[in-house]
Amino acid sequence: MTSIIDSLSRALSLIVHLDRELMGIIFLSIKVSGTALVIAGLAGLPLSALLGFRRFPMRGLIVSVLNTFMGLPPVVVGLFLYLLLSRSGPLGFLSLLYSPSAMIIAQSILAFPIVASLSHSAVIGVDPVIKQAALTLGATPFQVSLKVLNEARYGIMSALIAGFGRVMAEVGAILIVGGNIAGYTRVMTTTIALETDKGNFELALALGVILLAISLIINILLHLFQKKGMAGANR
Amino acid sequence: MSLGLQASEIWQGYGDNEVLRGCSLDLKESGIYVLTGPNGCGKSTFLRICALLEIPARGKIVYLDGGRSLQHDISLKRRITLVLPRVGLFNESVFGNVAYGMRIRGLRGGEASGRVESALEFVGLSHKKVQNALTLSSGESQRLGIARALVLEPEILFLDEPTASVDEKNTVIIEEIIQKLRQDEKCTVVMTTHDRSQAARLAGRLFELKDGRIT
Amino acid sequence: MSRKVYLRLLAVLLTIFLNSLSASAATDIICSSTTSTENSGLFNHILPLFEKKTGIRVKVVARGTGAAIEMGKRGDADVAFVHAKEQELKAVEEGFFTDRHDVMYNDFVIIGPNDDPAKIRGITSTAEAFKKISGSSKFVSRGDNSGTHTKELSIWKKAGLEPKGQQWYLEVGQGMEKTQRIASEKRAYTLTDRGTWLATKDRDGLEMVIVHEGDPTLFNQYGVMAVNPQRHKHVKYKEAKEFISWLISKEGQQAIASFKDGKGNQLFIPNAKQ
Repeated sequence: MTSIIDSLSRALSLIVHLDRELMGIIFLSIKVSGTALVIAGLAGLPLSALLGFRRFPMRGLIVSVLNTFMGLPPVVVGLFLYLLLSRSGPLGFLSLLYSPSAMIIAQSILAFPIVASLSHSAVIGVDPVIKQAALTLGATPFQVSLKVLNEARYGIMSALIAGFGRVMAEVGAILIVGGNIAGYTRVMTTTIALETDKGNFELALALGVILLAISLIINILLHLFQKKGMAGANR
Repeated sequence: MSLGLQASEIWQGYGDNEVLRGCSLDLKESGIYVLTGPNGCGKSTFLRICALLEIPARGKIVYLDGGRSLQHDISLKRRITLVLPRVGLFNESVFGNVAYGMRIRGLRGGEASGRVESALEFVGLSHKKVQNALTLSSGESQRLGIARALVLEPEILFLDEPTASVDEKNTVIIEEIIQKLRQDEKCTVVMTTHDRSQAARLAGRLFELKDGRIT
Repeated sequence: MSRKVYLRLLAVLLTIFLNSLSASAATDIICSSTTSTENSGLFNHILPLFEKKTGIRVKVVARGTGAAIEMGKRGDADVAFVHAKEQELKAVEEGFFTDRHDVMYNDFVIIGPNDDPAKIRGITSTAEAFKKISGSSKFVSRGDNSGTHTKELSIWKKAGLEPKGQQWYLEVGQGMEKTQRIASEKRAYTLTDRGTWLATKDRDGLEMVIVHEGDPTLFNQYGVMAVNPQRHKHVKYKEAKEFISWLISKEGQQAIASFKDGKGNQLFIPNAKQ
């Protein structure tokens, strides 16, 4: 028990002193996961809208596949991507392996089904009367879609947060395709794994605390945002 | 009135249950048209077809402007509007709900918000404009629905059972709003109600839907 | 958000993405190495010196020995810095690598519980020591195809024993430090490299001591080799070669010798042939 407290206090001092290496690692984590989230959102939101608004063949299949891929094991994604991006693989010519770009791709793949599937649930959860109301007020089909997406905004926000939480906490895929290169592709989770291996529990724990703090902050923000939105909804 | 509506021989139904069996209606002059009939007789369906929300199985909806028949396109749809019995308010402020129709027409700024303000004034909801629309009572929701439609200055305003789920006090207010519209020569009101006495109070012209036909 | 804004955003992102592709400058090389080498801290000591001199940045990807060599074979690294001489020479022979050189060595030791229950202290032959452990005590194996694991298996072979599946033989599939900690918890013996042992015995509070050392079988030779540019045209052979030349030069060898752990122990002994 004392060793845990000891590690914690040293971890806190690392955080308080804004250790430069630590800051770099945190910044890279946020940059990689944030970019991945934006990409997953830009791809996932239109898809969720398409699935929510249009009826077309294979629609049901796509939804099932997305739901299944929500639980995609990161190491499998990492391995698959490694084989693709490896010099001996089909996309080797891009020289992407062991770069932050490769990590962003991996995390986008992991976040995409979560963002798309949960947003889709949010979109189809919107009362159909909203769509009709927008139509009666003279909205074009595109404007109707935007309105429904807007009504689903809290659900979509939750989807984005869930996606972000997943990729921020993920270690398997980025370890394989990023290589955990010091000062280049080393992020919070891979550092935690590495430092635990090396027995440097303080640094590992410090990063664990920061990771927790970040997800806590995001969830509080989400909660506030939703509370504001729901203030009237439950009359 | 510049926009006329001719609904001729409208048939609509699901399976064996054909609710509309050759309904016709001709709107040439402005005023208040009330369509009455028991619940489930097809009033709403007929209104939705007239408002171009549904396509009938058979029959024709023709909108006329100066003797010319109009395409059922977005510019026509923006000249008419329907307030649904379940209004479908958006999860944003009362003001934002009314402004929505203006926004999607590209109308913003001072003049647009002036129109929003006066529409809210018209239905008596000015004091609630910053509130979230979903906090309103069902009577207030219906009034907001009417304001949201009126701000767009529709040439034909369809009201589907505007007082069906509304308390007495709000029923009175809504009837007063409809009465005020009688003076507006540019806006024709077409409404449905199952309440015969209300129909008698409001109607300029009264129609009854019975056995799938209008009499 | 209108369609136009959406497309514009997409374009901006794509640009950022493509920019980050070209950002991997020509003066970066990827060096595949082993976890234990990286964890020793050696690279943090010598790589800045090399970068300062040549402007070449060496990015180290640490894997198990097997994976580190495989990375080079697949062309995912420019240079490999590992410690499995037989496998290295085989890979050179197969044409995957070229310009292999010995760089330095450290040595393995057997560590065990303070009271040495198997009584192997004083035995000079490592194979004999393994034989004595086999009957009487537990032995924890890395079991991860690492250099240390390979070395361990070769000793069992030399001793004529087949430990796999035996009740006293625990394969943990973990890194060296975790393996040491498990051995300490289980009051077992294990084979470790001196560097890891020196760096961690106090910090991890290991209740163990070195019970056997000094047999030449236990020397752990590190080598460096470049990925063969005839196999993989894209590799940065010139820079890799420069790195190798520096490592085996007087300057590089001194840098290795001057690397000490926190308590002032030298962890690697340079032995490149000039």
